[in-house]
Amino acid sequence: MRFFNYIRLWLACVRYSLVRSMMFRMDFIMWSLVELLWMGVNVALVAVIYEHTDSVAGWSKYEMMLLIGTSMIIQRLMMGFFWSNIFEFGRNVRSGNFDFFLAQPGNVLFMVSTRKLDLDSLANVAIAVALVVYSLHRLEITPDAWQIIAYVGLLVCGLAISYSIILLAVSLTFWIIKTEGIEGSYFSLTEFSRLPRQAVKSIIINVAFVYVLPVVVISNIPASTLLHGITLQNVLWLAGAAAFWFSLAVFVFNRGLRHYASASS
Amino acid sequence: MFRALNKYRHVFLVGLQSNLIYRWNFLIRASFSAFHLVVVFILWSAAYEGKTTIGGFDVAQTMTYFVALMVMQFFISAFNEDYQISEEIRNGLINQFLLKPINYFIYRLSIFGSARLVSGLLAIVPLLVAIPFLGDYIALPSGPDEMWRLYLGIPAMAMSAMIQFTIAFCFGLLAFWFLEIQSFIILSYAIETLLAGQIFPLDLLPQPIYTLSQYLPYYYQMYFPVAIFTGRLNAPAAVAQGLCLQLAWLVILLLLSRFLWTRGLRRHTAVGG
Repeated sequence: MRFFNYIRLWLACVRYSLVRSMMFRMDFIMWSLVELLWMGVNVALVAVIYEHTDSVAGWSKYEMMLLIGTSMIIQRLMMGFFWSNIFEFGRNVRSGNFDFFLAQPGNVLFMVSTRKLDLDSLANVAIAVALVVYSLHRLEITPDAWQIIAYVGLLVCGLAISYSIILLAVSLTFWIIKTEGIEGSYFSLTEFSRLPRQAVKSIIINVAFVYVLPVVVISNIPASTLLHGITLQNVLWLAGAAAFWFSLAVFVFNRGLRHYASASS
Repeated sequence: MFRALNKYRHVFLVGLQSNLIYRWNFLIRASFSAFHLVVVFILWSAAYEGKTTIGGFDVAQTMTYFVALMVMQFFISAFNEDYQISEEIRNGLINQFLLKPINYFIYRLSIFGSARLVSGLLAIVPLLVAIPFLGDYIALPSGPDEMWRLYLGIPAMAMSAMIQFTIAFCFGLLAFWFLEIQSFIILSYAIETLLAGQIFPLDLLPQPIYTLSQYLPYYYQMYFPVAIFTGRLNAPAAVAQGLCLQLAWLVILLLLSRFLWTRGLRRHTAVGG
Protein backbone atom coordinates (compact mmCIF):
# COMPACT_ATOMS: atom_id res chain seq x y z
CA MET A 1 0.00 0.00 0.00
CA ARG A 2 1.19 3.46 -0.80
CA PHE A 3 1.54 6.28 1.69
CA PHE A 4 -1.53 8.02 0.31
CA ASN A 5 -3.67 4.98 0.94
CA TYR A 6 -2.60 4.87 4.57
CA ILE A 7 -3.73 8.45 5.01
CA ARG A 8 -7.10 7.61 3.47
CA LEU A 9 -7.39 4.59 5.73
CA TRP A 10 -6.56 6.65 8.78
CA LEU A 11 -9.11 9.29 7.83
CA ALA A 12 -11.73 6.55 7.56
CA CYS A 13 -10.88 5.51 11.12
CA VAL A 14 -11.19 9.12 12.25
CA ARG A 15 -14.60 9.36 10.62
CA TYR A 16 -15.70 6.12 12.26
CA SER A 17 -14.58 7.34 15.69
CA LEU A 18 -16.36 10.66 15.18
CA VAL A 19 -19.59 8.94 14.23
CA ARG A 20 -19.33 6.70 17.27
CA SER A 21 -18.81 9.63 19.62
CA MET A 22 -21.78 11.40 18.11
CA MET A 23 -23.88 8.30 18.71
CA PHE A 24 -22.93 8.15 22.38
CA ARG A 25 -22.87 11.87 23.13
CA MET A 26 -23.54 11.48 26.86
CA ASP A 27 -20.66 9.06 27.12
CA PHE A 28 -18.37 11.49 25.35
CA ILE A 29 -19.33 14.31 27.71
CA MET A 30 -18.92 12.17 30.82
CA TRP A 31 -15.49 10.87 29.85
CA SER A 32 -14.31 14.35 28.89
CA LEU A 33 -15.42 15.50 32.34
CA VAL A 34 -13.58 12.61 33.96
CA GLU A 35 -10.32 13.55 32.31
CA LEU A 36 -10.84 17.22 33.02
CA LEU A 37 -11.34 16.45 36.68
CA TRP A 38 -8.21 14.33 36.85
CA MET A 39 -6.25 17.16 35.32
CA GLY A 40 -7.81 19.38 37.99
CA VAL A 41 -6.57 17.03 40.69
CA ASN A 42 -2.99 17.49 39.50
CA VAL A 43 -3.35 21.24 39.23
CA ALA A 44 -4.79 21.28 42.76
CA LEU A 45 -1.74 19.42 44.05
CA VAL A 46 0.57 22.05 42.56
CA ALA A 47 -1.60 24.88 43.87
CA VAL A 48 -1.56 23.45 47.40
CA ILE A 49 2.19 22.82 47.45
CA TYR A 50 2.87 26.39 46.32
CA GLU A 51 0.60 27.70 49.06
CA HIS A 52 3.43 26.67 51.36
CA THR A 53 6.57 27.16 49.28
CA ASP A 54 7.80 29.32 46.42
CA SER A 55 9.97 26.86 44.63
CA VAL A 56 10.20 23.12 44.10
CA ALA A 57 13.64 22.08 42.85
CA GLY A 58 14.05 25.55 41.38
CA TRP A 59 10.69 25.55 39.57
CA SER A 60 8.25 28.33 40.37
CA LYS A 61 4.51 27.76 40.56
CA TYR A 62 3.67 28.56 36.95
CA GLU A 63 6.76 26.82 35.63
CA MET A 64 5.47 23.76 37.43
CA MET A 65 1.97 24.25 35.95
CA LEU A 66 3.59 24.43 32.54
CA LEU A 67 5.36 21.14 33.25
CA ILE A 68 2.10 19.51 34.35
CA GLY A 69 0.37 20.87 31.24
CA THR A 70 3.13 19.51 29.01
CA SER A 71 3.02 16.09 30.59
CA MET A 72 -0.78 16.13 30.23
CA ILE A 73 -0.58 17.00 26.53
CA ILE A 74 1.62 13.96 25.90
CA GLN A 75 -0.52 11.71 28.06
CA ARG A 76 -3.80 12.80 26.47
CA LEU A 77 -2.38 12.49 22.96
CA MET A 78 -1.23 9.01 23.88
CA MET A 79 -4.65 8.11 25.25
CA GLY A 80 -6.43 9.72 22.32
CA PHE A 81 -4.49 8.08 19.52
CA PHE A 82 -3.02 4.84 20.79
CA TRP A 83 -3.99 3.72 24.26
CA SER A 84 -7.14 1.70 23.62
CA ASN A 85 -5.72 0.36 20.35
CA ILE A 86 -2.70 -1.08 22.11
CA PHE A 87 -4.85 -2.31 24.96
CA GLU A 88 -7.07 -4.18 22.51
CA PHE A 89 -4.08 -5.47 20.61
CA GLY A 90 -2.99 -7.32 23.77
CA ARG A 91 -6.46 -8.68 24.26
CA ASN A 92 -6.74 -9.79 20.63
CA VAL A 93 -3.47 -11.67 20.77
CA ARG A 94 -4.72 -13.49 23.85
CA SER A 95 -8.07 -14.34 22.30
CA GLY A 96 -6.86 -15.09 18.78
CA ASN A 97 -8.86 -12.29 17.18
CA PHE A 98 -5.53 -10.90 16.12
CA ASP A 99 -5.77 -13.16 13.02
CA PHE A 100 -8.15 -10.59 11.59
CA PHE A 101 -5.39 -7.95 11.54
CA LEU A 102 -2.94 -10.29 9.86
CA ALA A 103 -5.43 -10.90 7.09
CA GLN A 104 -5.63 -7.21 6.21
CA PRO A 105 -3.56 -5.94 3.28
CA GLY A 106 -1.38 -3.41 5.05
CA ASN A 107 1.32 -2.87 7.62
CA VAL A 108 0.18 -4.83 10.68
CA LEU A 109 1.56 -2.36 13.20
CA PHE A 110 -0.23 0.50 11.45
CA MET A 111 -3.50 -1.43 11.38
CA VAL A 112 -3.16 -2.35 15.06
CA SER A 113 -2.30 1.15 16.26
CA THR A 114 -4.76 3.35 14.40
CA ARG A 115 -8.10 1.61 14.53
CA LYS A 116 -9.88 4.12 16.68
CA LEU A 117 -9.46 7.45 18.40
CA ASP A 118 -10.64 8.50 21.84
CA LEU A 119 -12.07 11.90 21.14
CA ASP A 120 -12.67 12.71 24.80
CA SER A 121 -8.92 12.50 25.43
CA LEU A 122 -8.21 14.62 22.37
CA ALA A 123 -10.72 17.22 23.57
CA ASN A 124 -8.73 17.44 26.77
CA VAL A 125 -5.52 18.10 24.85
CA ALA A 126 -7.02 21.53 24.23
CA ILE A 127 -7.40 22.09 27.98
CA ALA A 128 -3.82 20.97 28.61
CA VAL A 129 -2.60 23.34 25.88
CA ALA A 130 -4.63 26.10 27.51
CA LEU A 131 -2.89 25.37 30.82
CA VAL A 132 0.50 25.71 29.12
CA VAL A 133 -0.50 28.97 27.39
CA TYR A 134 -1.94 30.39 30.61
CA SER A 135 1.24 29.51 32.53
CA LEU A 136 3.35 31.21 29.85
CA HIS A 137 1.14 34.26 30.15
CA ARG A 138 1.54 34.35 33.94
CA LEU A 139 5.29 33.95 33.58
CA GLU A 140 5.29 36.74 30.98
CA ILE A 141 7.19 34.58 28.54
CA THR A 142 6.59 34.87 24.82
CA PRO A 143 8.38 32.03 23.07
CA ASP A 144 9.62 32.71 19.55
CA ALA A 145 8.54 30.68 16.55
CA TRP A 146 11.57 28.39 16.74
CA GLN A 147 10.87 27.56 20.34
CA ILE A 148 7.28 26.67 19.51
CA ILE A 149 8.36 24.50 16.59
CA ALA A 150 10.93 22.78 18.79
CA TYR A 151 8.33 22.32 21.54
CA VAL A 152 5.89 20.63 19.18
CA GLY A 153 8.65 18.46 17.74
CA LEU A 154 9.75 17.43 21.23
CA LEU A 155 6.17 16.60 22.20
CA VAL A 156 6.02 14.29 19.19
CA CYS A 157 9.25 12.65 20.39
CA GLY A 158 7.72 12.25 23.85
CA LEU A 159 4.62 10.73 22.34
CA ALA A 160 6.74 8.35 20.26
CA ILE A 161 8.67 7.26 23.35
CA SER A 162 5.49 6.67 25.36
CA TYR A 163 3.94 4.76 22.48
CA SER A 164 7.02 2.60 21.99
CA ILE A 165 7.41 1.72 25.66
CA ILE A 166 3.81 0.61 26.01
CA LEU A 167 3.90 -1.23 22.67
CA LEU A 168 7.01 -3.05 23.89
CA ALA A 169 5.35 -4.01 27.16
CA VAL A 170 2.19 -5.25 25.47
CA SER A 171 4.14 -7.06 22.75
CA LEU A 172 5.30 -9.40 25.50
CA THR A 173 1.86 -10.94 25.07
CA PHE A 174 3.25 -12.75 22.01
CA TRP A 175 5.48 -14.75 24.33
CA ILE A 176 3.81 -14.63 27.73
CA ILE A 177 0.06 -14.88 27.34
CA LYS A 178 -0.84 -13.61 30.79
CA THR A 179 0.01 -9.93 30.62
CA GLU A 180 -3.31 -8.44 31.74
CA GLY A 181 -2.78 -5.22 33.60
CA ILE A 182 0.65 -4.52 32.14
CA GLU A 183 -0.86 -1.52 30.33
CA GLY A 184 -1.63 -0.07 33.74
CA SER A 185 2.08 0.47 34.27
CA TYR A 186 1.75 3.39 31.85
CA PHE A 187 -0.08 5.40 34.49
CA SER A 188 2.63 4.69 37.04
CA LEU A 189 5.23 5.88 34.55
CA THR A 190 3.39 9.09 33.65
CA GLU A 191 3.54 10.10 37.29
CA PHE A 192 7.28 10.48 36.84
CA SER A 193 6.82 12.87 33.94
CA ARG A 194 5.12 15.35 36.26
CA LEU A 195 8.30 15.68 38.33
CA PRO A 196 10.92 18.36 37.69
CA ARG A 197 14.11 16.64 36.65
CA GLN A 198 16.14 18.62 39.20
CA ALA A 199 14.06 17.06 42.00
CA VAL A 200 15.35 13.59 41.16
CA LYS A 201 18.39 13.24 43.41
CA SER A 202 18.79 9.50 43.86
CA ILE A 203 21.27 7.91 41.46
CA ILE A 204 19.18 4.76 41.08
CA ILE A 205 16.03 6.71 40.19
CA ASN A 206 18.05 8.90 37.83
CA VAL A 207 19.41 5.90 35.98
CA ALA A 208 16.04 4.16 35.91
CA PHE A 209 13.64 6.97 35.00
CA VAL A 210 15.82 9.65 33.40
CA TYR A 211 18.35 7.69 31.37
CA VAL A 212 17.09 4.14 30.85
CA LEU A 213 13.36 4.88 30.68
CA PRO A 214 13.29 8.56 29.74
CA VAL A 215 9.89 9.18 31.38
CA VAL A 216 11.07 12.19 33.36
CA VAL A 217 12.68 13.97 30.43
CA ILE A 218 9.85 13.49 27.92
CA SER A 219 8.04 16.34 29.68
CA ASN A 220 11.00 18.22 31.19
CA ILE A 221 12.86 18.83 27.94
CA PRO A 222 9.91 20.33 26.02
CA ALA A 223 8.91 22.39 29.07
CA SER A 224 12.37 23.84 29.59
CA THR A 225 12.61 24.54 25.86
CA LEU A 226 9.66 26.90 26.22
CA LEU A 227 10.95 28.35 29.49
CA HIS A 228 14.67 28.69 28.88
CA GLY A 229 15.21 28.29 25.14
CA ILE A 230 16.39 25.54 22.85
CA THR A 231 19.35 23.42 23.94
CA LEU A 232 20.78 21.39 21.08
CA GLN A 233 22.03 18.71 23.46
CA ASN A 234 18.54 18.16 24.92
CA VAL A 235 16.88 18.10 21.53
CA LEU A 236 19.34 15.50 20.29
CA TRP A 237 18.86 13.47 23.46
CA LEU A 238 15.09 13.28 23.14
CA ALA A 239 15.12 12.75 19.38
CA GLY A 240 17.74 10.02 19.78
CA ALA A 241 15.76 8.34 22.55
CA ALA A 242 12.62 8.46 20.41
CA ALA A 243 14.42 6.89 17.44
CA PHE A 244 15.95 4.22 19.66
CA TRP A 245 12.76 3.24 21.47
CA PHE A 246 10.66 3.29 18.32
CA SER A 247 13.06 1.04 16.40
CA LEU A 248 13.31 -1.31 19.35
CA ALA A 249 9.52 -1.51 19.65
CA VAL A 250 9.08 -2.16 15.92
CA PHE A 251 11.79 -4.81 16.03
CA VAL A 252 10.28 -6.60 19.02
CA PHE A 253 6.78 -6.34 17.57
CA ASN A 254 7.92 -7.94 14.32
CA ARG A 255 9.77 -10.69 16.14
CA GLY A 256 6.59 -11.27 18.12
CA LEU A 257 4.56 -11.56 14.92
CA ARG A 258 6.72 -14.45 13.87
CA HIS A 259 6.08 -16.08 17.22
CA TYR A 260 2.32 -15.64 17.00
CA ALA A 261 0.56 -18.96 16.59
CA SER A 262 -3.06 -17.82 16.92
CA ALA A 263 -5.37 -19.22 19.57
CA SER A 264 -8.07 -21.82 19.39
CA SER A 265 -11.41 -20.17 18.91
CA MET B 1 -29.61 -14.34 65.02
CA PHE B 2 -26.54 -16.55 65.28
CA ARG B 3 -27.67 -18.69 62.36
CA ALA B 4 -28.24 -15.61 60.32
CA LEU B 5 -24.68 -14.49 60.94
CA ASN B 6 -23.37 -17.95 60.23
CA LYS B 7 -24.27 -17.82 56.55
CA TYR B 8 -22.32 -14.58 56.14
CA ARG B 9 -19.39 -16.18 57.93
CA HIS B 10 -19.34 -18.74 55.14
CA VAL B 11 -19.54 -16.00 52.54
CA PHE B 12 -16.54 -14.40 54.25
CA LEU B 13 -14.56 -17.64 54.18
CA VAL B 14 -15.36 -18.32 50.53
CA GLY B 15 -14.41 -14.70 49.83
CA LEU B 16 -11.06 -15.26 51.52
CA GLN B 17 -10.35 -18.23 49.28
CA SER B 18 -11.37 -16.55 46.07
CA ASN B 19 -9.32 -13.48 46.92
CA LEU B 20 -6.25 -15.54 47.67
CA ILE B 21 -6.39 -16.64 44.03
CA TYR B 22 -5.73 -13.01 43.11
CA ARG B 23 -2.78 -12.65 45.48
CA TRP B 24 -0.43 -11.88 42.58
CA ASN B 25 -2.71 -9.14 41.30
CA PHE B 26 -2.72 -7.56 44.74
CA LEU B 27 1.04 -7.85 45.02
CA ILE B 28 1.54 -6.25 41.60
CA ARG B 29 -0.88 -3.54 42.60
CA ALA B 30 1.03 -2.95 45.82
CA SER B 31 4.23 -2.64 43.78
CA PHE B 32 2.64 -0.02 41.52
CA SER B 33 1.77 1.84 44.71
CA ALA B 34 5.43 1.64 45.64
CA PHE B 35 6.25 3.56 42.45
CA HIS B 36 3.64 6.10 43.37
CA LEU B 37 5.29 6.42 46.77
CA VAL B 38 8.65 7.05 45.09
CA VAL B 39 7.12 9.92 43.10
CA VAL B 40 5.54 11.32 46.27
CA PHE B 41 8.87 11.17 48.08
CA ILE B 42 10.74 12.94 45.29
CA LEU B 43 8.14 15.67 44.96
CA TRP B 44 7.75 16.39 48.66
CA SER B 45 11.47 16.19 49.42
CA ALA B 46 11.94 18.88 46.78
CA ALA B 47 9.14 20.95 48.29
CA TYR B 48 10.79 20.71 51.71
CA GLU B 49 14.17 21.86 50.40
CA GLY B 50 15.34 24.77 52.58
CA LYS B 51 12.35 24.38 54.89
CA THR B 52 11.88 22.51 58.14
CA THR B 53 8.09 22.48 58.19
CA ILE B 54 5.20 22.76 55.77
CA GLY B 55 1.87 23.49 57.40
CA GLY B 56 3.47 22.80 60.79
CA PHE B 57 4.69 19.28 59.94
CA ASP B 58 8.23 18.21 59.16
CA VAL B 59 9.25 16.07 56.21
CA ALA B 60 9.19 12.80 58.18
CA GLN B 61 5.66 13.45 59.40
CA THR B 62 4.47 14.15 55.87
CA MET B 63 6.14 11.05 54.44
CA THR B 64 4.67 8.97 57.27
CA TYR B 65 1.26 10.31 56.27
CA PHE B 66 1.68 9.07 52.70
CA VAL B 67 3.04 5.68 53.74
CA ALA B 68 0.22 5.19 56.25
CA LEU B 69 -2.25 6.27 53.57
CA MET B 70 -0.99 3.63 51.19
CA VAL B 71 -1.17 0.85 53.75
CA MET B 72 -4.61 2.02 54.87
CA GLN B 73 -5.85 1.95 51.28
CA PHE B 74 -5.23 -1.76 51.04
CA PHE B 75 -7.07 -2.35 54.30
CA ILE B 76 -10.16 -0.18 53.85
CA SER B 77 -10.53 1.14 50.28
CA ALA B 78 -13.22 -0.12 47.99
CA PHE B 79 -11.32 -1.10 44.83
CA ASN B 80 -13.81 -2.38 42.29
CA GLU B 81 -16.77 -3.36 44.44
CA ASP B 82 -18.95 -0.83 42.59
CA TYR B 83 -18.05 -2.42 39.29
CA GLN B 84 -18.68 -5.96 40.54
CA ILE B 85 -22.09 -5.00 41.89
CA SER B 86 -23.09 -3.26 38.67
CA GLU B 87 -22.00 -6.31 36.70
CA GLU B 88 -24.13 -8.59 38.87
CA ILE B 89 -27.12 -6.37 38.28
CA ARG B 90 -26.50 -6.11 34.57
CA ASN B 91 -26.02 -9.76 33.80
CA GLY B 92 -28.77 -10.95 36.12
CA LEU B 93 -26.62 -12.75 38.68
CA ILE B 94 -28.34 -10.65 41.30
CA ASN B 95 -31.60 -12.51 40.74
CA GLN B 96 -30.45 -15.51 42.74
CA PHE B 97 -30.02 -13.33 45.81
CA LEU B 98 -33.50 -11.92 45.48
CA LEU B 99 -34.91 -15.42 45.78
CA LYS B 100 -32.90 -16.45 48.82
CA PRO B 101 -33.01 -15.27 52.44
CA ILE B 102 -29.82 -13.30 51.97
CA ASN B 103 -29.34 -9.61 52.47
CA TYR B 104 -27.40 -8.50 49.42
CA PHE B 105 -25.74 -5.59 51.24
CA ILE B 106 -24.41 -7.82 54.05
CA TYR B 107 -23.44 -10.49 51.53
CA ARG B 108 -21.37 -7.96 49.58
CA LEU B 109 -19.98 -6.48 52.77
CA SER B 110 -18.72 -9.91 53.88
CA ILE B 111 -16.90 -10.34 50.58
CA PHE B 112 -15.50 -6.81 50.89
CA GLY B 113 -14.23 -7.65 54.38
CA SER B 114 -12.43 -10.78 53.25
CA ALA B 115 -10.97 -9.02 50.19
CA ARG B 116 -9.54 -6.20 52.31
CA LEU B 117 -8.11 -8.63 54.82
CA VAL B 118 -6.21 -10.40 52.03
CA SER B 119 -5.09 -7.25 50.21
CA GLY B 120 -4.16 -5.50 53.46
CA LEU B 121 -1.95 -8.35 54.63
CA LEU B 122 -0.36 -8.63 51.17
CA ALA B 123 0.40 -4.90 51.10
CA ILE B 124 2.46 -5.35 54.22
CA VAL B 125 4.94 -7.50 52.27
CA PRO B 126 6.38 -4.70 50.07
CA LEU B 127 6.22 -2.40 53.10
CA LEU B 128 8.44 -4.71 55.13
CA VAL B 129 10.92 -4.71 52.24
CA ALA B 130 10.84 -0.91 52.11
CA ILE B 131 11.10 -0.21 55.84
CA PRO B 132 14.91 -0.32 56.03
CA PHE B 133 15.00 2.40 53.33
CA LEU B 134 12.21 4.42 54.89
CA GLY B 135 13.54 4.26 58.45
CA ASP B 136 14.44 7.94 58.78
CA TYR B 137 11.17 9.03 57.24
CA ILE B 138 8.81 7.27 59.61
CA ALA B 139 7.67 9.35 62.57
CA LEU B 140 4.65 7.86 64.30
CA PRO B 141 3.46 9.43 67.54
CA SER B 142 4.06 6.92 70.32
CA GLY B 143 4.12 6.73 74.10
CA PRO B 144 1.53 6.28 76.84
CA ASP B 145 -0.01 9.71 76.16
CA GLU B 146 -0.79 8.70 72.61
CA MET B 147 -2.85 5.58 73.37
CA TRP B 148 -6.04 7.51 72.67
CA ARG B 149 -5.05 7.46 68.99
CA LEU B 150 -5.57 3.70 69.02
CA TYR B 151 -8.90 3.83 70.89
CA LEU B 152 -10.35 6.49 68.60
CA GLY B 153 -8.43 5.57 65.46
CA ILE B 154 -9.61 1.98 65.17
CA PRO B 155 -13.33 2.81 65.27
CA ALA B 156 -12.61 5.66 62.84
CA MET B 157 -10.88 3.21 60.52
CA ALA B 158 -13.75 0.72 60.75
CA MET B 159 -16.30 3.40 59.94
CA SER B 160 -14.13 4.66 57.08
CA ALA B 161 -14.18 1.18 55.59
CA MET B 162 -17.97 1.13 55.94
CA ILE B 163 -18.28 4.55 54.29
CA GLN B 164 -16.02 3.48 51.44
CA PHE B 165 -18.02 0.33 50.92
CA THR B 166 -21.41 2.03 51.15
CA ILE B 167 -20.43 4.69 48.61
CA ALA B 168 -19.22 1.94 46.27
CA PHE B 169 -22.45 0.01 46.87
CA CYS B 170 -24.56 3.06 45.96
CA PHE B 171 -22.57 3.60 42.75
CA GLY B 172 -22.96 -0.06 41.88
CA LEU B 173 -26.73 0.24 42.27
CA LEU B 174 -26.79 2.98 39.65
CA ALA B 175 -26.67 0.07 37.19
CA PHE B 176 -30.43 -0.25 37.81
CA TRP B 177 -30.85 3.06 35.98
CA PHE B 178 -27.85 3.35 33.66
CA LEU B 179 -26.26 0.87 31.31
CA GLU B 180 -22.74 2.20 31.64
CA ILE B 181 -21.59 3.47 35.02
CA GLN B 182 -17.81 3.28 34.64
CA SER B 183 -17.53 6.99 33.89
CA PHE B 184 -19.61 7.89 36.97
CA ILE B 185 -17.35 5.74 39.08
CA ILE B 186 -14.12 7.28 37.83
CA LEU B 187 -15.58 10.78 38.05
CA SER B 188 -16.48 10.30 41.69
CA TYR B 189 -13.17 8.54 42.26
CA ALA B 190 -11.34 11.72 41.24
CA ILE B 191 -13.38 13.76 43.72
CA GLU B 192 -12.91 11.17 46.44
CA THR B 193 -9.14 10.95 45.92
CA LEU B 194 -8.80 14.69 46.21
CA LEU B 195 -11.17 15.35 49.13
CA ALA B 196 -10.20 12.23 51.07
CA GLY B 197 -6.65 13.55 51.25
CA GLN B 198 -4.99 11.02 48.97
CA ILE B 199 -3.24 13.63 46.83
CA PHE B 200 -2.04 15.84 49.69
CA PRO B 201 -2.82 16.04 53.43
CA LEU B 202 -6.07 18.01 53.65
CA ASP B 203 -4.73 20.26 56.43
CA LEU B 204 -2.50 21.93 53.83
CA LEU B 205 -5.58 23.38 52.15
CA PRO B 206 -6.39 27.02 52.88
CA GLN B 207 -8.22 27.13 56.23
CA PRO B 208 -11.80 27.81 54.99
CA ILE B 209 -11.65 25.01 52.43
CA TYR B 210 -10.19 22.65 55.02
CA THR B 211 -13.00 23.44 57.42
CA LEU B 212 -15.53 22.88 54.66
CA SER B 213 -13.97 19.53 53.78
CA GLN B 214 -14.54 18.36 57.36
CA TYR B 215 -18.27 18.43 56.76
CA LEU B 216 -18.07 16.26 53.64
CA PRO B 217 -18.18 12.46 53.75
CA TYR B 218 -14.91 12.12 51.81
CA TYR B 219 -12.92 13.51 54.74
CA TYR B 220 -14.11 10.53 56.78
CA GLN B 221 -13.41 7.86 54.22
CA MET B 222 -9.62 8.10 54.41
CA TYR B 223 -8.02 11.26 55.75
CA PHE B 224 -9.64 11.09 59.19
CA PRO B 225 -8.24 7.76 60.46
CA VAL B 226 -4.86 8.31 58.78
CA ALA B 227 -4.57 11.76 60.38
CA ILE B 228 -5.39 10.32 63.80
CA PHE B 229 -2.73 7.63 63.53
CA THR B 230 -0.02 9.84 62.05
CA GLY B 231 -0.38 12.76 64.42
CA ARG B 232 -1.96 15.33 62.12
CA LEU B 233 -4.99 15.53 64.40
CA ASN B 234 -3.91 16.15 67.96
CA ALA B 235 -6.93 17.08 70.06
CA PRO B 236 -8.79 14.02 71.42
CA ALA B 237 -11.94 16.06 72.04
CA ALA B 238 -12.07 17.31 68.46
CA VAL B 239 -11.43 13.78 67.20
CA ALA B 240 -14.32 12.46 69.29
CA GLN B 241 -16.50 15.13 67.72
CA GLY B 242 -15.24 14.02 64.33
CA LEU B 243 -16.27 10.45 65.13
CA CYS B 244 -19.84 11.67 65.69
CA LEU B 245 -19.88 13.43 62.33
CA GLN B 246 -18.42 10.31 60.75
CA LEU B 247 -21.17 8.19 62.27
CA ALA B 248 -23.76 10.64 60.99
CA TRP B 249 -22.41 10.37 57.45
CA LEU B 250 -22.32 6.61 57.70
CA VAL B 251 -25.99 6.51 58.72
CA ILE B 252 -26.95 8.90 55.91
CA LEU B 253 -25.10 6.80 53.35
CA LEU B 254 -26.64 3.57 54.67
CA LEU B 255 -30.10 5.10 54.36
CA LEU B 256 -29.27 6.27 50.85
CA SER B 257 -28.12 2.81 49.85
CA ARG B 258 -31.32 1.36 51.29
CA PHE B 259 -33.38 3.86 49.33
CA LEU B 260 -31.53 3.20 46.07
CA TRP B 261 -31.88 -0.54 46.62
CA THR B 262 -35.67 -0.51 47.09
CA ARG B 263 -36.17 2.00 44.27
CA GLY B 264 -33.83 0.11 42.00
CA LEU B 265 -35.54 -3.22 42.59
CA ARG B 266 -38.81 -1.70 41.46
CA ARG B 267 -37.23 -0.92 38.11
CA HIS B 268 -35.36 -4.19 37.93
CA THR B 269 -36.61 -6.54 35.23
CA ALA B 270 -34.41 -9.55 36.01
CA VAL B 271 -32.99 -10.36 32.63
CA GLY B 272 -30.66 -13.30 32.17
CA GLY B 273 -29.73 -15.31 35.22
